[in-house]
Amino acid sequence: MGMKQKTDVRQGTLALMVLKTLDVLGPLHGYGIARRIEQISGDLLAVNQGTLYPVLLKLEQEGAIASEWGASENNRRARFYRLTREGRRQLQVETQDWEQTAAIIGRFFEAKAEDLP
Amino acid sequence: MKSLRRFFARLANFATRRRDEQRLREEIEEHIALQTAENIRVGLSPVEAQRQARLKFGAVEAMKEDYRAARGLQFVEHLVQDLRFAIRSLQRTPGLTLFVVMTLALGIGMTSATFSMVDALIFRPYPVPHPSGLVTLVTTTHDTSFEDFSYREYLDIRGQAKSYDGVIANADMEPVGFSAEAGATPRVRGGMMVSGNYFHALGVEPPLGRGFREDEDQVPGRDAVVVLGPEFWRREFASDRAVVGRIVRLNGTDFTVIGVAPETFPGMDIVGHPDFYVPLAMARVFSTNMQKNFFEDRDDRELNLTARLKPGTTIEQAQNELTVLAKNFERDYPKQNRSRGAAIHTQFEMRTRADDVNWKFSVIFMVLSLAVLLVACTNVAGLLLTRARTRTHEIAVRLALGAGRFRLIRLLLTESLILAALGGLAGIAIGNGVIQWFHTKESIIFMTELPAAVPFQMDKRVLLASLALSVLSALLCGLAPALQSTRVDLLSGLKSADVDVPGRKRLWGRNLLVVAQVSTSLMLLTAAFLMARNFEQSFLEGTGFAKDHLLMVKFDPRLEQYNAAQTQQFYKLLAERLREAPGVAGDALTENVPLGQDGFEGVAFVPDGFQMPPDRENFSATMDTVDEGFFATMGIPILRGRGFLASDTVEAPRVAVVNEQFAKHYWPGGDAVGKRIRLDSRAGVLVEIVGVAQTIKYQSTTEGPMEFVYMPLAQHPIAQMTLLLRSSGDRDPLQLVQPVKDVVRTLDPNLPMLQTRTYEDLYLNQVVNGPRIAIQMVGSMGVVGLLLAIAGLYGVVAYNVSRRTREIAIRMALGAAKSDVLRLVMGKGLVLVGIGTAIGLAMGFAVEQFMNSMLFNAGEVDIVAYLIVVPSLFLVTMLATYVPARRACKIAPTQALRYE
Repeated sequence: MGMKQKTDVRQGTLALMVLKTLDVLGPLHGYGIARRIEQISGDLLAVNQGTLYPVLLKLEQEGAIASEWGASENNRRARFYRLTREGRRQLQVETQDWEQTAAIIGRFFEAKAEDLP
Repeated sequence: MKSLRRFFARLANFATRRRDEQRLREEIEEHIALQTAENIRVGLSPVEAQRQARLKFGAVEAMKEDYRAARGLQFVEHLVQDLRFAIRSLQRTPGLTLFVVMTLALGIGMTSATFSMVDALIFRPYPVPHPSGLVTLVTTTHDTSFEDFSYREYLDIRGQAKSYDGVIANADMEPVGFSAEAGATPRVRGGMMVSGNYFHALGVEPPLGRGFREDEDQVPGRDAVVVLGPEFWRREFASDRAVVGRIVRLNGTDFTVIGVAPETFPGMDIVGHPDFYVPLAMARVFSTNMQKNFFEDRDDRELNLTARLKPGTTIEQAQNELTVLAKNFERDYPKQNRSRGAAIHTQFEMRTRADDVNWKFSVIFMVLSLAVLLVACTNVAGLLLTRARTRTHEIAVRLALGAGRFRLIRLLLTESLILAALGGLAGIAIGNGVIQWFHTKESIIFMTELPAAVPFQMDKRVLLASLALSVLSALLCGLAPALQSTRVDLLSGLKSADVDVPGRKRLWGRNLLVVAQVSTSLMLLTAAFLMARNFEQSFLEGTGFAKDHLLMVKFDPRLEQYNAAQTQQFYKLLAERLREAPGVAGDALTENVPLGQDGFEGVAFVPDGFQMPPDRENFSATMDTVDEGFFATMGIPILRGRGFLASDTVEAPRVAVVNEQFAKHYWPGGDAVGKRIRLDSRAGVLVEIVGVAQTIKYQSTTEGPMEFVYMPLAQHPIAQMTLLLRSSGDRDPLQLVQPVKDVVRTLDPNLPMLQTRTYEDLYLNQVVNGPRIAIQMVGSMGVVGLLLAIAGLYGVVAYNVSRRTREIAIRMALGAAKSDVLRLVMGKGLVLVGIGTAIGLAMGFAVEQFMNSMLFNAGEVDIVAYLIVVPSLFLVTMLATYVPARRACKIAPTQALRYE
């Protein structure tokens, strides 16, 4: 049970990272997204880059991203993902949610017993 | 929205699966190629670069699995796989599959047929728009909780109650003389008097013509209009659309047809569908009770009241209002309404009231058929358990290869679902057969001149219920085996094909099955025996009167518009002239024949000089109106005093004869003869009791002794009477039909002779054949339950023993005597059956109490049933343990030790 919950959290986080990456860098293929996330998050994707693909598919099904074939840097056929309008909206909402949650949790951790009335 | 969109995307993906796999493979290759290139750039060797890239990507297959899970409808995919697999594995054991399907079919078929009955009698809503808003109003007294209202009371409630969008009234359906043209001989059809707002308030609009207007029930006798029922219109008028505006004759009065009720509205009652409707204001043409004035007497209670609650009004509010109205009635009319309340009931409450026979039978049949289904399911569960255990090896291999336990359980459940689906289909066929069989018995069940139809049918609701039952039984009989067989010890499971892992839990399950089967089937049989024996006994007891050599003919002079005096004259002459006819040994006139289809009237009275309790206005009993020939002709002994005489005329003092039960109740110490009662109330007419007749069976052969009063026809005139003639010697009573015809022709050639038949014929249909259908149903449930239980019991017990073959052989090899071994295994089986019998006996007693309380009045325990059932169950168990145990004893130890 514990294992599964951890993956779930990570998948959600991963999806948000994918959206943000595409928002900042524009259309990218899977490898590019993986690199970017790796660069910023450190070891999150260091071992299991493959887990990115189910997340990409899920986002595409939700309509947050779209994909089409294009040519990669070394001129091979690659699938390029880009953010849709729906994806942008979703990113906005989720960013807000995330910041709110982070702020609340942050305050909780900072609060000391003597702060309470 | 998001999830919906994803669902459709998945659905599309399900179709384009192959292309997607291709795409994923390409993406992975590209990803690894790019990572490899990157690794080379930072200085790794090409081989190492690719290895690192693959490592970094992670487990490709696991990812693919994840990807597929996200992509497609994994559930559907698995389901298709499971189905395919399950069908294959069921095909491998066709005999077992067939047996299981048949077993389930019997259980489900019985239950769905019963459900169609219960649905029709209890659950089916009124055939009107928004039926749930309709409630029934009743009056309540000390003696009844469901009495009707009088016309005056109806007008008051309709005018004063604020809780309803319309209060409608209808009388019971009654036989009416109908002729399509003036001059044609009238035939008896079923007509119903209704209030003017009947169709409008129900929301039923005739598609042809119109319904009644509100003003059409205001003035007594003014509006002779009639609305036809759809079935009657089809049958009698061949669906002629020009029927509106035609004149028809009802009880000798001309009525104008103004409309036809829609096909969707056969009538508010489940069984009786009126042929036509007439306004209440025409009651003079139809009213049965010659003693009362329908329009004026507040205690002439003949009307059923139905009302549509206003939206937003609760039943409690309406009840409070009605209680106030009833209090007002009590205050304003203390004579008629003393301690009389009023209550509101929903349709469901009305149909499930404790005194309703339909409801009683529904409950009994439902309980019994569910018991059959339970036996069938435990039976199948036992078989599936046996089957699953021979697959221990297969399941162990699957588990070892990494199949999830949940997935395996699902696979096994899919198998039982397929079995249940097949069983359900066959069960629906069986259920339909039973329903059709009911329809062939329609004429026996409702032997009446009034229109009636068996309301059971295989409709959408019944199909749905059967489907639900199938799924339920699949879970019932599939879950336990599936759970158990997937809980194997891998190592031992892989080693041998069929292992018995020692463990209490496992045996407990199988033992439970044996106990459940024995006890349930015992209960079923008890019920079947009880019912059959009770009816048989009531036949043996007899009815208390002579039913042979009797001809009966019913007359209704209202069909020819006779007034009260003409009616009296007609019956007087009819009896007189037939008394002289050759072959007639006795003659009688009675309002209702005993054990006939029409219920007797009630009579309210106060024993003279009796100190009534302060809150009681009167007592009530059942009564019949008869002439002076009745007691002699029917062979009912007069125990004390006298019967009626020709001298008990309308001018003579009022007299009555009561039965023994009545006399015992009100004058336990003394003689009832010479005592007097007052009719209706303390201020009512004085009637002297001149005789005490023997108590007979009045309404049903299974009834307990009833209190009964007879009144002489001359002093208590009734329009509709039945003539009873006893033929002399051994003459066939039907030979008397011609003399009756001759006499009637001399009196009035146009007056129809209704229901001409021998009394024995009526008795057979009404008393013997009707209940026999019920006995047949319960009996067949009992037999099916017993057969299933025996088959299942044998299977499970024999299997249990055969699994110990090796143990038995070892015991034998070590020197145990055959008799010791037999005692060992048989003892175990018998202990289980013993436990099951104990539980079954307890359940049987409970069922007996229950059925006695609902149907019969005799509350004695039926020992004979148990004396037959219990030993037979033990015999079966002995056989089931003995045969395999003996076989096990005969096997050579060397062979048995290798035996698996």
